[in-house]
Amino acid sequence: MNPVNSAILDPSLGWGILAAFSVLWVWLGWFWGRRAKELDDYVLAGRRVGLALGTATAMATWVTSNTTMAAPQLAYQMGIWGMLGYSLGSVGLILFAPLARRIRALMPGGFTSGDFIRLRYGKTAWRIFLAISLFYGLGWLISLGMAGGILINALTGIDYRLGMSVILAICVLYTVLGGLRAVIGTDFIQTLLILFGILILAWLAIDAVGFERMHEAVSEERPELLNLLMPAAIMFLFNNLLFGVGEIFHSNVWWSRAFAFDKGVGFKAYLTAGIFWMPIPVVAGFIALAAPALGLNVPAADMVGPLVAANLLGVGGAILVFIVVFSALASSLDSLLAATSDLVLQDIYRGHLRPRASPEELRRAARWVVVGLGVVAWLLCLPRLTTLAALLHFTGAFVASTIWPIAAGLYWRRTNPTGAMAAMVLGTAIGLGAYFLIGFYVAALVSALVSMCIVLASTWLAPRDFDWASLNERGL
Amino acid sequence: MTVSVSFLTTMVTIALAVTLVSPFVLLILWLRDWRKGKLW
Repeated sequence: MNPVNSAILDPSLGWGILAAFSVLWVWLGWFWGRRAKELDDYVLAGRRVGLALGTATAMATWVTSNTTMAAPQLAYQMGIWGMLGYSLGSVGLILFAPLARRIRALMPGGFTSGDFIRLRYGKTAWRIFLAISLFYGLGWLISLGMAGGILINALTGIDYRLGMSVILAICVLYTVLGGLRAVIGTDFIQTLLILFGILILAWLAIDAVGFERMHEAVSEERPELLNLLMPAAIMFLFNNLLFGVGEIFHSNVWWSRAFAFDKGVGFKAYLTAGIFWMPIPVVAGFIALAAPALGLNVPAADMVGPLVAANLLGVGGAILVFIVVFSALASSLDSLLAATSDLVLQDIYRGHLRPRASPEELRRAARWVVVGLGVVAWLLCLPRLTTLAALLHFTGAFVASTIWPIAAGLYWRRTNPTGAMAAMVLGTAIGLGAYFLIGFYVAALVSALVSMCIVLASTWLAPRDFDWASLNERGL
Repeated sequence: MTVSVSFLTTMVTIALAVTLVSPFVLLILWLRDWRKGKLW
């Protein structure tokens, strides 16, 4: 079945929805960003974000298009464990709660996760970390851009490249206009849209197909999806847990929020977000199990969610999926654009190219960095190189290698820089080896294990004292 | 070991219940922060 032929929405209706939400996001971006004159206001929303907006932004950012589209994909490929494994991505948010509190206490003037690695482990470790973090950030950006194009193509038949370009352009525009304040403000509205949207979709799917019919058809046609002893799926569960922890521990998307939240907010916001995020992959994913009952021919696994919704619920369902995934996409794309641009601005531009740049110069440069990142992501999205899940799994080996250097570096005075560097390099290399030799479902697992062994062994063999006060570098 | 229809129903129902509560909790938190002038 050609994806264009399966489109349920008229292209003009698709453009109409896209235009309406785009105008809203861009106007809000301008409205919230118009008073952000200082660098702190623009980059970290003034460092006084409260609990409601803090919780919503953590939830919305973690509910990406990869959740709303890859959760059904994983349910379709790995069944029950696919959904539950994806849910364990919330463990990363929950475990980051105490880290967020400590990060805010140790680095009240900090800007990026790169700041921490530089101050804690030195410049060589900092550059290794930047390579990992920027590679991952770009990979995530590409997967989000691709998801936008795939969604629009699947639902409206609009050309993949055109849809992807429009979504990227809108997110770049409102992020440029409003900085982190626009990102966090729109995240709150997008969270509500996503939650109500997936609830309605799930309810309508249950009403139309029902659990018994769904279970019966899957048992007959794809019984492995209901098997709790599916080995690859069990490995995926642990792999995804570590992938999520690694992603959140290292990525500046989460660190920038830890810096931006008001004192005392970080712990509660990340904990609440983690608890509320946990059931979302199940709610968003289980509708894929209706595909066998409906006799759907799914041309690509990452289109199963939109196809089931459109088939079950007609035009209304397709509109709802469109709004939910567009909100999920925008909420993550804007966060990633803002946080990655902070990393490029603070750690590359200021850290390597212009150490004496004034806050005014950095404030101006921040906008151009967001635009530049958007252009790079757009160029890399054009060829639609791989599937969403494959791209994310590949980066698992990279991010999981950073879990131990970061966690030990935040709590363990004696962790030494050489061990942290070796953990990141060897964890990534051996994790990638496992990815190619065994399968995607063990890459993060192997990487985290290698990284853990190196950090523990090197700290035990060559302990080194560290003065926590040296993390409190004066802000920009 | 294949999951039963009741397991599937229970798992999805619990997930739906938590997801249903979350937007209302967020709205209550927003109101509380807004009243105290602590939105951001």
